[in-house]
Amino acid sequence: MSQDNGRSGLTRRQLIQGMGAASTLPLLGGVAPFAIGNQSAGRVVVIGGGFGGATAAKYLKRANPAIDVTMVEPAEVFYTCPFSNLFLGGLRELNAIAHGYDELRGRYGVKVIHAMAEDVDPDGHRVSLSNSDTLDYDRLVLSPGIDIRWDALEGYDEAAAEKAPHSWKAGPQTELLKRQLEGMDDGGTFVMVAPENPFRCPPGPYERASMVAHYFTQHKPNAKVLILDAKDNFSKQGLFTAGWEQLYGDRIEWVGLSNDGRVTRVDANNLEVETEFGTRHQADVLNVIPPQKAGWIADRAGVTDDSGWVPVKAETFESQRVNDIHVVGDATVATPMPKSGFCANAQAKVVAAAIAATLEGSTAPDPYWANTCYSLIGPEYGISVAGVYRVQDGVIASVEGAGGLSPTDAPEATRALEAEYAVGWYNAICQDTWGTEA
Amino acid sequence: MPTPLPAITRRRLIISIGLLVISPLALADGPWLRLEAASNIVGDTQPNTAGLHLDLPHVSEDGSAVPLGLSFDGTLGEDDYLTDIHLFATGNPNPEIAVFHLTPMGGLPEISTRVRLNETQEVIAVARSHRGETFATSREVRITVSGCLMRGNDDQPAALSYPRVSAPSHLAPGEAGEIRTLINHPMETGLREGPNGNTLPRHIIEHFRVTLAGETAFEAELHRSISANPYLRFHLTPTQGGELVIEWQDDSGESAIHRTAIDVG
Ligand SMILES: Cc1cc2nc3c(=O)[nH]c(=O)nc-3n(C[C@H](O)[C@H](O)[C@H](O)COP(=O)(O)OP(=O)(O)OC[C@H]3O[C@@H](n4cnc5c(N)ncnc54)[C@H](O)[C@@H]3O)c2cc1C
Repeated sequence: MSQDNGRSGLTRRQLIQGMGAASTLPLLGGVAPFAIGNQSAGRVVVIGGGFGGATAAKYLKRANPAIDVTMVEPAEVFYTCPFSNLFLGGLRELNAIAHGYDELRGRYGVKVIHAMAEDVDPDGHRVSLSNSDTLDYDRLVLSPGIDIRWDALEGYDEAAAEKAPHSWKAGPQTELLKRQLEGMDDGGTFVMVAPENPFRCPPGPYERASMVAHYFTQHKPNAKVLILDAKDNFSKQGLFTAGWEQLYGDRIEWVGLSNDGRVTRVDANNLEVETEFGTRHQADVLNVIPPQKAGWIADRAGVTDDSGWVPVKAETFESQRVNDIHVVGDATVATPMPKSGFCANAQAKVVAAAIAATLEGSTAPDPYWANTCYSLIGPEYGISVAGVYRVQDGVIASVEGAGGLSPTDAPEATRALEAEYAVGWYNAICQDTWGTEA
Repeated sequence: MPTPLPAITRRRLIISIGLLVISPLALADGPWLRLEAASNIVGDTQPNTAGLHLDLPHVSEDGSAVPLGLSFDGTLGEDDYLTDIHLFATGNPNPEIAVFHLTPMGGLPEISTRVRLNETQEVIAVARSHRGETFATSREVRITVSGCLMRGNDDQPAALSYPRVSAPSHLAPGEAGEIRTLINHPMETGLREGPNGNTLPRHIIEHFRVTLAGETAFEAELHRSISANPYLRFHLTPTQGGELVIEWQDDSGESAIHRTAIDVG
C-alpha cells in the first residue's frame, strides 16, 4: 500500500504508526512504577473475553503487572465474527477463527474465570457470577458485545433463530448457517434480512452476501442471494455493488428500504418473511440479522440509555451514568467509530491506559483511535474503509482528511493486495488481542 | 436470559426519569421561541410542554434519513382534538420539515416519517388544538457520519413511482387503524449540485392528502427536509367506512393516487 492509492492525506503506513502510538505511548508511562513488594496496585474486573475484554485485560497487565486483573468469560474458546463470513464462503475452517485464553493467563498473569457475570452492584463495587462467586473491583471494564433484541422483529425469537440463524455471534450459529447452505438445493435462494443502524459491523452483511455468492459459484451455480434491507444506504455501498457486478453478475439482488426492503415479520418455520408493505419472500436458507442492543449485563450495571446502548465519556470510555465502570466495544455509543473488532481493541487500550494511570494517580495522554474495516468480496478481491478519530469538544470526531475508502476504479492487483492485507490484519489483531495465531 | 432489573438499577432508572420530568419546565422558554416560524404558530399562548413527544435517535449515522416519530398523550377537552402539528429542523437551510393537518378522524395522534438533518441540531414540534390549546417539544439529535458508513452512488428512482400503502381492510367503530405509505421521489432540495456542477432544480412532493368516503381525513404539507422517498405513517379512527384515497402531489403538478377500501363495523 505504499503506492498512491487515492486515499486522501494519510497513507496506510502512517495510519498504522498512528495506531501504534495510541497503544504504546500510555504503556511507556506505566511500565516502571511497580507497587512495592507484591502488593496489588488495584483490582480490575473485566467482563467479556472478546475483542474489547481480552485486549483490556492484557493491556492492563502490560501497563502495570501489579494490577490484579480478573477476566470473566463463559466460553473457553472464542470464535471471532471477523472472518466467520470466510468460513461461510468456504475459504477458512472454523478452527481458523478460534482463540483461547492460555496466553492471557500464562504470559500476562490475567485471572480468567469461565463463568457468566450475572449482576453488578455499582455502589458495592461488586460483580456476582453464575458460579456463585463474587468479585470486588476498584474499576470494572465491560465489553459484553451485543445482544439480540428478541422483541423487536415479529416472529423472530430464540426458537426462530434455530431455523433462521442470525449468525451475528460466531460459533454454533455460524455452523448452523453453513450446514444449511451446504444442504440447500442448487437453484435455491439465500435470503438475508439486514437491520437498520446502529448494529454490529456495518459492512458485515454485505461481506456475508459476497462470501455466500462465492460459495454458490463453486457449489450451487444456479443459486441466488437476496438481501432485504431496512436501510437505503450501507457501508462501502458503491464498492460492494461494483464488486458484485464484476464477480457475480446478477446473482446478488439488494432491495433497500425505499423499495419495500424492510422486513416486519418472520415466519421461521416456513422460511418466509413479510415486508412492511406486505410483500412476501420465500427463502431456501434464511439469515435474519435482527436489531441489536448492548449485552444485557450492561443493563444490570445501569449503564445503558433508552436506546439500549451505553453512552460513555469520550476520553476514558467511562460510563456517563455510573462511576468506575468503563465500557468498550459494540456495547457503546462511540459514533462515528463503527462497531468493529478493530475499534473494540483500540478503545480497550485507551481504557487500560486510563485505568492504569488513575490507579497510580497520574493522567493518561489524550487518546486517539484508528479503524480499518476490510471486507472480502471474493477470495482475491478486498476493499476497505479507514478512519482516524480524536476527541473534539468532548465528543469523538473523525479527523478530517485522514482515512478513506478504497478507490472505486482500482485495478485487479489492488483488490488482490487488499485481500492479502485483510488476512494480515486478522492475524495481527488476533495476536494482539489473545496472543494466538489462527 | 435477562431477568427483572435489580433494585439498584430500578432506582437509578427512576432517578433519571425524575430528571426527564423536570425538563419540560426548563423548556418553558424552549427553542421554539428562538425560531420565528415556530413562535408564530404558538402566537401569544404559553405552550404546554407536556403531552407532545418527539421520538428521534440521540445520535444518527445517516443524516439523509433520520427516523422521526411524533406522539401525543396530553389532555384535551372532551370534544377537542389536535388540528395541526408543525415540525422544524433548526439547523437546516430551510427549517420547515412538514405540517400535519389532523381531523376528528385522527383519533390516535401518532405519526412517523423520515427526515433530513444537515448537522447536529435541535428538532422542534409544535401542535395546536381545535380550541386553541398549544403544545411544544424539542429534541437534540447528533449527526455523525460513521467511518464504516460511507455511501455509494445512490440511483434516483423515478418520481412518484410505486406508491405503496398498507391499511387495514376492516376496523371496529372507534378503533384506530394504522396507515403506512411510501412512494419513490427524489425530494430534490434545489440546494444540491449535480454531477456537472449545476444546481439541481427543486423537485419535491408538497402535498399529501387522504380522504375517506370523500371526506378529508389527514393532510400533510411536506418541505425539503423530508427524506427522499417520503414515508408517512399515521392513524385514522373512522366512524364510517368507504373508499380511502391517498394522493401525493409534487411541485411539478404531477400526482400519484392510490385507492383502497376500509370497512367499518
Ligand atoms: C459477520 C461479522 C463480521 C465481522 N467482521 C469484522 C471485521 O472484519 N473487522 C472488524 O473489526 N470487526 C468485524 N466484526 C465486528 C466484531 O465482531 C465486533 O465489533 C467485536 O466482536 C466487538 O467486540 P466486543 O468486545 O464488543 O464484543 P465481543 O467480541 O462479542 O465479545 C463479547 C464477549 O463478552 C462475553 N459476555 C457477554 N456477556 C457476558 C457476561 N454477562 N459475563 C461474561 N461474559 C460475557 C461474550 O461471551 C463474548 O465473548 C464482524 C462482525 C460480524 C457479525
